[in-house]
Amino acid sequence: MYLDMSMFTKISSWSLSASRVFRNEFGLMIHDIGILLFFVVLPLLYPVVYTLIYNPEVVRKLPVAVVDDSRTAESRNLVQKASASPSLQIYDYCSDMAEARVLMAEHKVFGVMHIPGSYARDIANGEVAHVAFYSDMSLLLRYRTFVAALTDLQIEVIQDITGEKISSTGLGSLAADRTVPIASEAQMLGDTEQGFASFVIPGIVILILQQSMLLGICMLGGTSRERKRRNGGFDPKEVPASPSATVWGRALAYTVFYFPMTIYILRIIPEIFNLPHYGNPVDYLLFILPLLLSTAFLGQALNYFMKERESCFILIVFTSVFFLFLSGLTWPRYAMSEMWTWIGNLVPAVWGVEGFIRINSNSADLPEVATAFTAMWILAAVYMLAAWLVVWKMRTKKVESKI
Amino acid sequence: MSTGFIDGMKREIRRMTGRKMYIFGMLAVPLFMAFFFLDLLSPGLPNQVPTAVVDLDHSSMSRTVTRSLSALQVLDLNERCESYDEALEMVRKGKIFGFFVIPSDFEKNALAGNVPTLEYYSNMTYFVPGTLAFKGFKTVAVATSGGVVQQTLVSLGATPEQISSLVQPLDLQINALNNPWMSYAIYLCPSFTMATFVLMIMLMTVFSITMEVKTGSSVEWLGTAKGNIWIATASKLLPQTVIWVAVGIFIQWLFFGLSHFPLNGSIGWMLLATVLVVIASQGVGLFVSSVVPNPRLAFSLTALFGILSFSFTGFSFPVESMYGWLGIFSYLAPIRYWFLIYINEALNGVGIYYSRYFFVALIVLPLVACSLLPRLRRACLKPVYVP
Repeated sequence: MYLDMSMFTKISSWSLSASRVFRNEFGLMIHDIGILLFFVVLPLLYPVVYTLIYNPEVVRKLPVAVVDDSRTAESRNLVQKASASPSLQIYDYCSDMAEARVLMAEHKVFGVMHIPGSYARDIANGEVAHVAFYSDMSLLLRYRTFVAALTDLQIEVIQDITGEKISSTGLGSLAADRTVPIASEAQMLGDTEQGFASFVIPGIVILILQQSMLLGICMLGGTSRERKRRNGGFDPKEVPASPSATVWGRALAYTVFYFPMTIYILRIIPEIFNLPHYGNPVDYLLFILPLLLSTAFLGQALNYFMKERESCFILIVFTSVFFLFLSGLTWPRYAMSEMWTWIGNLVPAVWGVEGFIRINSNSADLPEVATAFTAMWILAAVYMLAAWLVVWKMRTKKVESKI
Repeated sequence: MSTGFIDGMKREIRRMTGRKMYIFGMLAVPLFMAFFFLDLLSPGLPNQVPTAVVDLDHSSMSRTVTRSLSALQVLDLNERCESYDEALEMVRKGKIFGFFVIPSDFEKNALAGNVPTLEYYSNMTYFVPGTLAFKGFKTVAVATSGGVVQQTLVSLGATPEQISSLVQPLDLQINALNNPWMSYAIYLCPSFTMATFVLMIMLMTVFSITMEVKTGSSVEWLGTAKGNIWIATASKLLPQTVIWVAVGIFIQWLFFGLSHFPLNGSIGWMLLATVLVVIASQGVGLFVSSVVPNPRLAFSLTALFGILSFSFTGFSFPVESMYGWLGIFSYLAPIRYWFLIYINEALNGVGIYYSRYFFVALIVLPLVACSLLPRLRRACLKPVYVP
């Protein structure tokens, strides 16, 4: 009985001090304009800016130069069909390839279509006609757009030619209904419009959540370190509490503070910009909870390295690029070496990006992203221990006099 | 004057060696990120996309289709699903990036001329694997259809010449200039490595200047140069320039020497562009520090600009397709010019003439940055730290 009581008093005094830390940390956050910039302005603004950058979604009217050595009705027909494609725009005719290369070097066109002199003759003779297209490779998106548009163009022209030919060869009566014996249909899942913003934004917003929170926590940590240096190892704005109560009180303060931001980023942004948002809010809000918690702990663990208020700018900012690539948004995770896969496994947002995209764009439910969800809870536990160690170690450490 | 300059440089070298932050920001991060991008993207293409086939027909023809799918290097067809729903669940779980459906009675309908439909699903939430899966599926769908046409025509007594001109009367060959492998390493490594490098240059420049204001040592810094802000700035930034240029040239060697990325123009111009982009990026850092000598604000603006420049400079989405007013920002980013020079000089080798304006821009940017030095001088003389 006595033991139980002492357990109870211990727990209640622990919760009391954790809640004191929580209140104190909240106060520090909302009275620091630098922190508010990270915790409020950054998550509010970045998703909007990113969506605006990518909002045109697709590349249209890519300028193309044409070198037509055939100069026949057939070749003109081909160019006419090409210019009807929304992805292509015939910028100009060139007399030869050299002239076209100049246009390409000046970035006035990104593709050159070369129709050889034998084009119409080959078609008339029932031979295979060849057309060469040269694509600039500075951006894969342009190349991809060309490939898609030209494949459609090729199919269209082939149907024309074959249609004419079948009636002329005499095979027509036999083969007419068999020219397309098997139909095929491509279906796009998730990002059905294949838009660039629709693809990239759902992933980026998760990174924004993690990175803005890390930056803010690390700035709070660096600022506290400066106060300690000024006050002989004592931070006057800290409330007395055990390391574990401190770590938990702070983590909960950040997580609670981030809830409105999370709803704005995950729910409102996709709706305003009409990006895919098929997920169930209950699923993705529950899913994101361990992301926020593990990030809140990770930030406190990283505070070990933050000696100054501004340290986070050098130590954290560049990791956004690193984590973006580890998340597999650009280069898929299945194609990564084991080392990068494992480093990625340690980053909450890497799991967060993967799971959120599946919930948001593929309408997966929580059980279907269980791996990512569990992984983030494990990370939360690991980083909680790390944060606890850091707080404990910094208290026992000798007084820092200078950086 | 010259003693002030040399004293300033000595002082700066002492500061740089005195804090680990400089080693981290100037050497560790740029070199690590260069290694990261080169190693991560070294396969070139993320082939072997995890995919599945849903064979509802179980005929010899459907098995042939499955075999041709497995034969593709681009696909890793390791999953067999019994139904469309099962395959869709695998997509949602992230186990596969697409699947190919062969309908029931496929062979029977194909041979009877009932035109069955092959359906293939690609998960476009991940652009690259989605696209690759799509490409693989399409190849097989078209080839299957063509194969049946050929068979039918042969059985109808057509000659081989008639067949090829009927099946494929037009061959439209698309040539990927200077990157025929469509390697992601060649496409992404230079731009992203250098953009990270430039981000660190801008941040470290802000760091080295605004920390003087923060700690109040700016008065002493200016004193070393006898109050001349031009000498003070030059003596501070020059030792850093030397290190940045060394790192930058080493990164160029990683690209063109070690990794054999296409270099169809001259390495000399690439090196010059690298030197100029270093100076221009220091200029941006200097400019921001002069406008807002407060470290936090200067850092925030620089980080904002540096991180967003990965997007608005058009490494992946072309600038001309963005909203017009966003394109303006791309002209303020030094990395944009380096990127354009890289495209012209290294990738396409079209001659320096076409890059002339990009070089001019890289020279003009730091000159503009210097115009605010008097303002920085005032801030240095009366350093105020706003947390």
